[in-house]
Amino acid sequence: MKKLSVAVAVCAVLASSYASAEVRINGFASIVGGKSLDSDSTLYGYDDDISFKNESKFALQLSADLHEKLTATAQIIARGEDDFDATFEWAYVTYEYSDELQFSAGKMRVPFYKYSDFLDVGYAYRWVRPPKSVYGIPFSTYEGVSVVYSSQLGDWDSTLQGFYGAFDGDIDVFGTELPAELNNLGGINWSLSYDWFSARAAYIVADTSISSEDSGLIGLVSVLSDSGLTNTANDLITEEDKTSFVGVGFSIDYENFLFDAEYTQFEVEDSILPEQSQYYASVGYRIDSVIVHFTYEDNDDKHDSSRFNTIESIPTLNSAVNGALEGLRAQSNVYTIGARYDFHPSAAFKIDFSRFEDDITDTETDVVAVGVDLVF
Amino acid sequence: MKKLILVSALSLCSINVFAEVAVIINPSNASSVDADTIKKIYLGKSKSFSNGDKVNPINQDGTSVADEFNDKVVGKSSSQLNAYWSKLVFTGKGTPPEKLTTDQAVIDFVAANNDAIGYVDSAKVTDKVKVIATF
Repeated sequence: MKKLSVAVAVCAVLASSYASAEVRINGFASIVGGKSLDSDSTLYGYDDDISFKNESKFALQLSADLHEKLTATAQIIARGEDDFDATFEWAYVTYEYSDELQFSAGKMRVPFYKYSDFLDVGYAYRWVRPPKSVYGIPFSTYEGVSVVYSSQLGDWDSTLQGFYGAFDGDIDVFGTELPAELNNLGGINWSLSYDWFSARAAYIVADTSISSEDSGLIGLVSVLSDSGLTNTANDLITEEDKTSFVGVGFSIDYENFLFDAEYTQFEVEDSILPEQSQYYASVGYRIDSVIVHFTYEDNDDKHDSSRFNTIESIPTLNSAVNGALEGLRAQSNVYTIGARYDFHPSAAFKIDFSRFEDDITDTETDVVAVGVDLVF
Repeated sequence: MKKLILVSALSLCSINVFAEVAVIINPSNASSVDADTIKKIYLGKSKSFSNGDKVNPINQDGTSVADEFNDKVVGKSSSQLNAYWSKLVFTGKGTPPEKLTTDQAVIDFVAANNDAIGYVDSAKVTDKVKVIATF
């Protein structure tokens, strides 16, 4: 409801500004078809039947200058994975205090990663999808405020952003949609760029609560509580648990050589969620209107050893807790080779082949995806 | 000698094939604008003239002068430039310069707006505008 009201408010502002201000309409779209090459495993939502729906999307953005310094923007996106139901991805008002300083309020993107802000705009990057091992946090927007300070440090462009707000909605927790709330969600990030080089660092904190009602965890948690092991029970549920995220990365676009790397670390303390660390490194080479690229990704989710064997006096419960903690262990790598061809100034054709290696189950899944990204 | 002939032949070619780009502002605007500033204006990184006035840049859409300008001054292909602007537009960080489709339209716009900056084929320049740089 809260989300809807933000969107409606921004729309009302946009509509009422019709008479006085020019409304700019921009849009982007991705039409992506893909399939898994393995009959018994799925990856990025693809099974072994070709799907054109899974990663396709269509978006429209409306923005209006209400005043010389005040702009209202709404971005509506229809994703194939949600049956193309249109939702407000962004809805915010920006006040440009000066060329250097701007304030925004509304529903915006959480600035986790380098490509967070334009995650959906396939035209803005070379892959069919950004490296999922890193770009994997299951929610991407928040409602709140943001301040951006842009400046020049000698020959370097510097952008410093701070934000504060909250997220309230269903998130995908290892395959199950669960209601979640992240309060006191705030952070700071800094980007520095010099001609062909740019670097970025981000730090984000929150208090995370995820409902365990619908998860398999609830039975174990109530047995633990009934046995007086409240601490152990509390360490499994996710209830206002301190959460931290760190991300660092850099990019090179030198002559025709491209390189990107990002490393991220994510932890929800005292919860069933394991500590997660992941990175990717990607090289690309531009030949006229074609970019060929190769990307390596690594993901490692695990609990610290101190979390195991905490109630050895009760062997059955001890092993049940160990099992729950170990159940979310993940270790995987992804190799992607692909190409992008700019066949039109506003449209790009892409093809990516990805191999996902699960080191826990010792299995491999291959996915091939072909798409066209447009901006208009 | 052979080299000299080749060089002259090439330079003749380049004169024939590529027009010179003239960057123009309103004659009433006394600001000085160097090549680096022009690049920054067209990338949305500089938003004001040296006199502090807000700058209103005008682009050309799909013309050979636009390709020439993007290549020589901004240093990006039209696809790269589109990708660059899509990052700013869809994150509320910037709005690309307005586009006009002919040299004459750019000259008329710059002549009518004190805060405007534009670029045209240098052969088309009239005394209604002031040339601040050529490439």
